[in-house]
Order: sequence, then structure tokens, then C-alpha cells
Amino acid sequence: MTALLVVILPLLGAVAALAIGHRVDWAAPLAGVVSCGAAWLCSLAVAIGHVGHAAASVLGPYEIRTGGIPLQASLYVDQLSASMLVLATTVATLVQIYSVAYLRGDPRYPSYAALVCLFTAAMALVVTADDLFVLLVGWEVMGACSYFLISHHWELPEARAGAVKAFLMTRLGDVGLLFGIFVVGQAAGTYRISGIVEAVGAGRISSGQATAATLLLLCGVVGKSAQFPLHSWLPDAMPGPTPISALIHAATMVAAGVFLVARLLPLFELSSVTMTLLAVIATVTMLGSALMACVAPDLKRVLAWSTVSQLSYMFAALSIGGYTAGVLHLLSHGAFKALLFLAAGSVIHAVGTQRLDSMGGLRSSMPVTFVTMTIGFAALAGLPPFVGFFSKDAILGEAADTAFHGQQGVRPWLVLVVGLVVAALTAGYSTRAWLLIFFGRRHAAAGAVEPHEPGWLILGPLVFLATISTVGGAAVVAPGFLGVQADPWHLAMMVVSGLVVVSATAFTASEWWRLDGRDPARLLGRLRPALEGELGFDRGVLATVVRPVGFLSATVVTNESRIIEPYPRGAGSGAQWAGRLLRFLHNGDAQRYVIAVVLGAVAVAVVVGVVQ
Amino acid sequence: MSGLDLLLALPALGAILVIALPVSSGRATQLAIGLATVVLALSVVAEIAVMRGPGGFRWQTDAAWIAPIGVRWRLGIDSLSAPLVVLTALLTWCCLVALLRRAPECGGRRGLVTLVLLIEAGSIGTFVALDLIVFFIFFELVLIPMWFVIANWGDEHDPVGRRRAATRFLVVTVIGSALVLVAFLMLRSSTGSFDLTVIARRAAGIDHGRQIVIAALFMVGFGAKIPLWPLHFWLPDAHSKAPTVGSVLLAGVLLKLGTYGLLRFWYDAVPAGAVEVAPYLGALGVVAIVYGALACLAQTDLKRMVAYSSIGHMGFVALAISTMTPQGLAAANFANVAHGAVTGLLFFFVGGLKDRVGSSEFSVLGRGLYTRSPHLAAVFAVAAMASLGLPGLAGFWGEMLAMLSAYSPNPALPRGTYLVFMVVAGVGVVLTTAYFVAAIRRLCQGAGASDALVDVAPDEWVAWSPLMVVTVGLGVAPMALLWSADSGAALVSGVIAR
Amino acid sequence: MPILYPLVVSSLLFAIGTYVVMARRHAVLVLMGVELMLNAVNLNLVTFDAWWHDRLDSGQVLALFTIAIAAAEIGLGLAIVLVVFRSHSHINVDELRELADRDEAPIR
Repeated sequence: MTALLVVILPLLGAVAALAIGHRVDWAAPLAGVVSCGAAWLCSLAVAIGHVGHAAASVLGPYEIRTGGIPLQASLYVDQLSASMLVLATTVATLVQIYSVAYLRGDPRYPSYAALVCLFTAAMALVVTADDLFVLLVGWEVMGACSYFLISHHWELPEARAGAVKAFLMTRLGDVGLLFGIFVVGQAAGTYRISGIVEAVGAGRISSGQATAATLLLLCGVVGKSAQFPLHSWLPDAMPGPTPISALIHAATMVAAGVFLVARLLPLFELSSVTMTLLAVIATVTMLGSALMACVAPDLKRVLAWSTVSQLSYMFAALSIGGYTAGVLHLLSHGAFKALLFLAAGSVIHAVGTQRLDSMGGLRSSMPVTFVTMTIGFAALAGLPPFVGFFSKDAILGEAADTAFHGQQGVRPWLVLVVGLVVAALTAGYSTRAWLLIFFGRRHAAAGAVEPHEPGWLILGPLVFLATISTVGGAAVVAPGFLGVQADPWHLAMMVVSGLVVVSATAFTASEWWRLDGRDPARLLGRLRPALEGELGFDRGVLATVVRPVGFLSATVVTNESRIIEPYPRGAGSGAQWAGRLLRFLHNGDAQRYVIAVVLGAVAVAVVVGVVQ
Repeated sequence: MSGLDLLLALPALGAILVIALPVSSGRATQLAIGLATVVLALSVVAEIAVMRGPGGFRWQTDAAWIAPIGVRWRLGIDSLSAPLVVLTALLTWCCLVALLRRAPECGGRRGLVTLVLLIEAGSIGTFVALDLIVFFIFFELVLIPMWFVIANWGDEHDPVGRRRAATRFLVVTVIGSALVLVAFLMLRSSTGSFDLTVIARRAAGIDHGRQIVIAALFMVGFGAKIPLWPLHFWLPDAHSKAPTVGSVLLAGVLLKLGTYGLLRFWYDAVPAGAVEVAPYLGALGVVAIVYGALACLAQTDLKRMVAYSSIGHMGFVALAISTMTPQGLAAANFANVAHGAVTGLLFFFVGGLKDRVGSSEFSVLGRGLYTRSPHLAAVFAVAAMASLGLPGLAGFWGEMLAMLSAYSPNPALPRGTYLVFMVVAGVGVVLTTAYFVAAIRRLCQGAGASDALVDVAPDEWVAWSPLMVVTVGLGVAPMALLWSADSGAALVSGVIAR
Repeated sequence: MPILYPLVVSSLLFAIGTYVVMARRHAVLVLMGVELMLNAVNLNLVTFDAWWHDRLDSGQVLALFTIAIAAAEIGLGLAIVLVVFRSHSHINVDELRELADRDEAPIR
């Protein structure tokens, strides 16, 4: 089946890149591009088969015994899987092409290309897996690939620290995910997602079981998708190469959490506790990360915080049952965020720094990057007619519908109000970053070299993604997409959110003008230093988790040497002391031994006699 | 003479030949490798025979041996022991290949090869013995060669320390096996037989209180070998002083003797008593998981860190055994084999590094191994990922199944307690990740890479690659070991019935 | 004959032998003491053999066995005495202390 090919082809690419990449220079880039490209073609074929209302196609199952409920390795491709496959392989292929130029001459290219391929295969496995354990395999392999790729520049301390942080935080969540799989599997009697959804439909899962399972699953989702309180790894993952940030930390891996919730939405809907918690987490994260994005001094950090914030939009949509809206935003965000990161890579490549205050005035020297990145920022801000406008509007419209007509209480109101506020903030920080990069005075400090446009290997993917971000709006709102009948047109909401976004953009631009080209973030006044310190979250984690664990491990080592160690030593020296005592009798005088024997015999005789 | 006799006779014969034949030690090693290859092939044939058989013990041998006390030469292999026999044969083969080109400085190579073959014979004998006394003899037989390996071929810089480590290992495990012997004699007096299959049939007739005592004796006795927290204190020393092949065999094979014995005798002989003792085993297991991980976090020596990681992994096996379910049985069996391969690989890596640098202290090893020796670093990265339980590599399935079986333990056991165990084990998983990632950061990454190290040599690839293949293979295709998972049901359903 | 007589004799013999072994310093005398004890045992064996009319005469057989052992023992003992006399030029047993357990490096 073609979906299996999407998993296998990048794997082969990874093997090829590792096997011959070190001998032949062009082998690793070629293996990466060709295998991901082939996977892309296959996923297009899969997607074409699922256009319209085609039923899900299933491969397998192959049963693996466990002594209990068996694992049933199987692939399950429906329209959600197919569109996710297309997204993942498209971005992966573009990233491979982009990297050929971006990382040219890097001695670590073979392992880099192989890890990207492996990552693509793992993502394909996640979106097509039917058995939750198979999904978990892909899920965690992605995490490991992300870990290795973040630490690609491992001579930088922040890259090492960021990689460790990312891996540990996501793995902490994954333990919850694992337990969630246990709970839901035991409740439904199977680990297959299709079986679980069926069990939900048949009413075989109680709401208590669903609450327990979904809360645990949510741990993994929150970790993988960088939501509060496991959000802080994503901005710190930015020392990784920029194409990696585009692929992993914007378009695919972090979206896996959203995907999982969407896949298991019927289960999540059984538990209003979980859905409310999800809405709260999503709105808190959305607001907090948008504020952080407003002040971040580093371009990639701005984009990272905006990713966190946009993911929260998707969770907010799912928390009010807005499956279509959430998934639409997932797909459109994948496109424009990949575009933004790749364009940012182009800018960073040209300027040699990631700091926003060292950029400026780049629009004339880098026209293609300027245009494409402008489209990306417009889509992020939600300006019509770009793709982000439609998908964000779908979410807000869904929230408004549910708020006014639904019976979900305060939850949709929360999503609607915070969503509108964050829409304004998003427009604000997008405009701020856009202005600081491309307008104002040019900073000559970075170097004598005039910034220039990179080659077409880099610009090609930018143009492609910019095209998608421009015309994609029409495609995603086409009725019947994803097989769910929903009306994504909410005219009133379009007007409201359009007004909010446009006025926020205009306000930011006018303030920038008024401040004479200085950073508009200073408008936040005394809030700014607190936000730049990210509200002390990392320090809190350090004090409440990292330090205590370090203390405990030091205690354990002390315990080993001070408390456990004396026991064997004590046993040894105790035996020696006993021996030394008995040795007094053994002075070599044979006659004394005889006396002892006789006395002993007499004593035994006396004892025997007395006892009898 | 059945295949199992041959499986025992070949390594023993090899040991005699290696020490007796008047050829160079290199030739003798080649001869040993040849024999080990035959043993490996034979063990795979045995595994296939078990796999295709109808279940129960295959290739049985039953001959009179010590008639006056009713000891018979009873051997047999089943789905529980077959994977461990293959693992033993494989690890021995790898160790012998590793000895072909690089032997420890102190002591002769010939003696070491002989001892390795003896350890192989003793371990396989333990796994296939069906008579309690035969089991006990083989169980003890393994200790003496291992004592010599650690005491004579260990750390050449520290003769006193290596001797002390060896003696400590010997004394603790001998005390443990004394308890096991007491339990065996109690079984004999209760059932009138030393034959495991007979005992299993008559297990229901054993007095309940006596079953509990026997099960507790098994737990402590085999626990010294596993090693169960807090009887683990011999392990880090023994590992850090042992030569590379000693560490590999110690972690890969000798620790399995304990878990195998516990599985075999708890589930077959005294299930009703074991159910009463099981929660304590589970508790010690999860304590070991967290304790081992915390100890690893603060280690300054790579070899000691890997040794402590073994304690944690064995904690997972203990947890799985303590659930008394078919799933726990499958989990323990899988985790046993996976740990053997993964930790064997880690010890080979540490040994290779120690050969090059002369120490396994982090401070001496330096940083930036990714550039100094890329392949070596890649081996470590893969082994570390497998050991921290990354899905898709061997370490995951055993530990996942252990936690899954703790989620639904035997109905006779307190479920709430086991849920706590499961959560604590989950914390241990995160801590395990933390120390391995910290080790990678400390060792493989980092600027200031000074001297390049010799990369993995061809003979090392030959010795290590089987373990890498097993590590990846079991991760991708866990059914290679889980095919028998449901046959454990027959064994364990008896427990529930009683 | 009452069984008491031979038993009293054998007890006396055994007691004298024990006293000699414990108290005399001369090695040859000690060996003689051992002989006395052995013969006391022989007397006991024969006595009880006769007393119980043992069909297998195991008492007599064992007595013969003891005599043989005693012969071997005295031969070996005298040889040791000779060797000791040559090396130490005396045979006082209470001065022969080479077999005492002394301090050495502790075993590790």
C-alpha cells in the first residue's frame, strides 16, 4: 500500500545517507531529497485516493502477542491522515532541498540528512498508525530525532542545553501518554484507534474511564505540542538549524499533539473535564506566548513563541469540538510557519545574526525573501486573503457559533474572547518583526558584507510555500474538505476579526513610525522586562524540579558510600574479629587442645545426663 | 544424547582443549570461536524447535545420576529458557571475538578464554536444568570462573580493589544461593522430588505457609544475584573492576540467572506463596528503578554509570515478575534479553573507550566524542537511546510491558499498590532519560575536542554488530520474542485458579 | 564374670592414658598414653562383644581393626618424633608451637 511506502522510503533514504554519505559528498543531499521527494509523490497519490468522501483504507492488522490485549500493527489512512501526510512530506522535501544550499559543506550533513529522513518516516508513521503503540513508536522516534537535530551544533552550550530540555520535557509528557494508552486500551479492549472510536460510539467506555485516559493522554499532547506547563522547551530548541525549526518545531512534530487529539476527539468529547482543562490550557498558553512573542529580541524566538500560540488556537478549536476548524488551522499553519522559518533562515544567513535589533532595511537587498516573508507574516497575522485568515476565522467563527447557540457553558466564550485578543496581539508582533527586519535603518555592525539574496535552492521552497499560503485559503475552505460537513464561512466573524487584525497592524505600524523606527515592544512598559525573562518559568522549574533531583541523586551517592557500603565492610571485619578471638585458643600447644577436647566431652556428658 | 547435552558438552570440551592443546593462544582462541559458533547455531536450532513445538519442554534428557538421593540428569528447554540460551551463546561468541585481537594486559589470554567457555557452559546448564540439584550445581559453577575473571584479569591498576570486588561478588551471591538451596530442600521435603516438572504438578499440595517461606527464600536468594535493591552493593564494584568481557557476561548473562531462577521457581513451583510475597518484590523493583537512575545521575565514571543503569533495568524485570501475569512473564523475558544485548553493547563500548584512553572517568575521557571518534560516538548514542527505552529499539518493549502488566496485575494482588508502582516506574523512565542524555552531553558533545581517538576497528565491528542488530531488530520486530507471550498464560492461569 | 570388672579396668586404663596425654611433656610418653587409650577401647569392644553374644562378632572385628590402626599410628608417630628430634634436638610437646595461628597480612 502506498501509505506504507511513505514510511519506508525515507527510512531507506536515511540508511543510504548514513551508509555512503561520508564517502561521496553529494550522496547525502541526494539521498535526502530523492527519498523525501518520492515519499511526497506517494503521499500525493494517497491523498488523491481520499479526495471527497472516500472511506478509510486499512492495512493490516498484524497481531503481536503480549500475554494480554494484543498489539495490532496496522495503518489506517483517512482524509485527516492523508492531508497530514501531504503536509509532512511536502515540508520535509522542501527542507531537504533548502538544506542542500543552507548547510553546504557541513561535515555533519550525512547524519543531518539521515535524521531528517528518519523524522519524516516517524511522522508518517504517527499520522497513519492505527495502533496506539505503533503511534507511540513514531511519536518518540520523532522526539529523539528532534533531540539530535537541535543539538546539531553541539559545540554551542545553548544547543546542548536546549536539546536536553526538549527531550526531557517531551519525554515527561510521553510517560503520561503511555499510561493514557494503558487506560484507554484496557477500557476499550483494544489499542487500535479505530476500535477505540468504535467503542466510544457503542458506549462501551464510561465517562470516568474517558476522563482518566484523556487527562493522561493530554500530558503527552501538552509535552509534544509545547503547551503550558511544558511549553518552555520550544523556544529553547531554536539553536537548531533553521530548516529543522521549520520542519520539526513548526510544521510537523509539534502538530502531532493536535493530530492525536483530533484523531481521538470522540474520546475526548466524552469527558467535559478534559475538554475544559484543554480550553484553559490553550487559552493560557495562547495569551502568554503571544505576549512573549511581542517582546522577544530574537527572530527565531518570536517565531517559536508564535508557533506555541498558534498551536493553542488549534487546541482551543478542538476543545469546543471544532474538528474541522482545528485541523484546517493545523494545515494552514504548517504551510505559513514553514515559510516563515525558511525565510527567517534566509535572513539569518544573510545578516549573520538572529537578533532583531541588528537587522533592518533588508527589503531592497533581498526582494524575494521580503515578498515571501511578507506573505508569511500576513498569513500569521490573519490578514485576508491569505490562508491564515480563513483558518483562524474558522476557529473564531466556530467559537462564536458555540458560544451563542451551543450548550457548552463558559468554555466557548473563553476561547472566543481570548482568541480575539490574541488575534490582535498576533497581528501586533507580526508587524513588529516584519518592520524591524525589512524597514528602518540598516545596521552595518554585522559585517562589511552587503546582505544579498541566497540561491534558488533556498528561494524556490520560499516561493512555493508563499504560493500555497496565498491561494491555499480558497482550497481549505472548499466545502467537504476533510470529509466533515461544516460551514467555515462566518461572515460576521470575518468582519470582526478582520477589523481587529487590521487595526492592530495599523496601530503597531503607526507606533513604530512615531518611535522613529525603534522597537515598538517598549509600548508594553514595565511588563516588558518580565516578559523578556519569560515570567521566571525556567527559574521556577530549576528550583522545583532540577535542583531537588540533583540533591536526591547526591543523597543517593552519599547513601551508597556512607550507609550501604559499611554493611559489607562491617560483615568482613566482623568475621575477622571473631576469627581473632577464636585464634587465642590456637596457640600451637597440642596438649592444650587435648585438654579442651576432654573438657568438652565431659561437658557434653554432663549436659546429656542432665537433660535426660 | 540430546541436543542439550551437546550444547553443554561443546563449551566444556572447548575449555579443556583451549587449556590443554599445545598451540598458541591465538589459535586456541580461534578454536574457541569455532566451537562457540557451533553452540550458537545449535542454540538457534533449539529456539526454532521450541518455537515450532507444541509447547512445554523440548529436547528433554532424563538419565539416572545420583540415585541414592533421587537426583536425575534432567534437562529440557522451553519458551522461557530458549531466548536466554541464545543470548548466552551470542554474548559468549561476541566476547570471544573481542578477545581475539585485544586481551587484557594482565593474565594470559588462554586462561580467560577457558573461563569464558566455562561460564557459557554453566549458564546454559542453569537455563536448561530441570532438576533442582542440577540447576544448583550449574548455578554455582558459574560463580567460580567469574571470580577468577574479575580477580585476575580485572582492572590492572588496582589489584587489591579488583580482588575485593571479586570476593564481594562471590560472597554475596554464595550467601544468596545458600538460601536458594534451603528453599530447594524444603521443596524436596514437601513434594518428595527434585524434578521441577513433578514439583510443578504437586505444587498445589504444598502447605500454604511453607510456600510463602519458600517464595521469600527464592526472592532473597535470587535477589542477591539479580541484584535486587538493597543487595546490589556488589554490582558497581564488580563491574567497574572487571575486564570488558567480564562486565559483558556479568550483565548480560549472570544477572539473568537470578531473574530466570525467580521466574522459573516462583511461577512453576510455589505460585500461591509467590503471590503473597510479590508486592514486596515489586516495591523493591521500583525502588531500584528510581534509586539506580538517581545514582547514575551523579556518577563521575562511565562504567559505574552503566553498572548502576543495570540495577534500574533489573528493577523493571523484578516489577514484571512480581505482577504474576502472563504479560509480566512476557515482559520479564523480553526485558531480560533486551537488557543483555543493550547493556552488553554499552559495556563493549566502555571497554573500547577504556582501551583507548586508559580510564572510564568522565574527566579523563574528555568531550566532543562526536568528532574525535564519530562511529564510536554513534554506537554509544544508539545504545544509550535503546537503554533509555526509546520505542523502536529493544529497551522499550520490555519496560513498556512491565508497566502495562503493573497496570493490570494478577487479581490476587492489590491493584492500587501496583498502580503506584507503575507511576514510580514512569518517573524512573524520565530519570533514566535524564542521565543518558547527560552522559551524551558530557561525553559526545561539547567544544574543545582535543585528540582524535582511533575509530571503531574492524574486529570491534564484528564483535559488536550482532548486539546492534539484536538491539534494533527486537525494537522493530518485538514479535521475535513475544511469540510465546500467550503460552505463558497456561503457566500462570494456574496461579489464578489456586 | 560380671561385666563390671573389665569395664572398670578399661576405664582406669583410659583415664591413665588421658592423663599421660594431657600431662606428660615427652612425646614418646604421649604416644604411649595414646596406646593406653586405644587398648582401653579395645577392651571395651571385646567385653561388649562377649556380653551381647554378637553373631557377627563385630566387637572383635573392630578390635582387630583398631590394633592395625594403632600399629600404623605408632609407626607414623615415632617417625614424626624422630624428625622433630632431629630438627629441634628435643621432643617436648609443649614447646612445639609452630602450628599456632599467627598474625600475617589479612586475607582480602
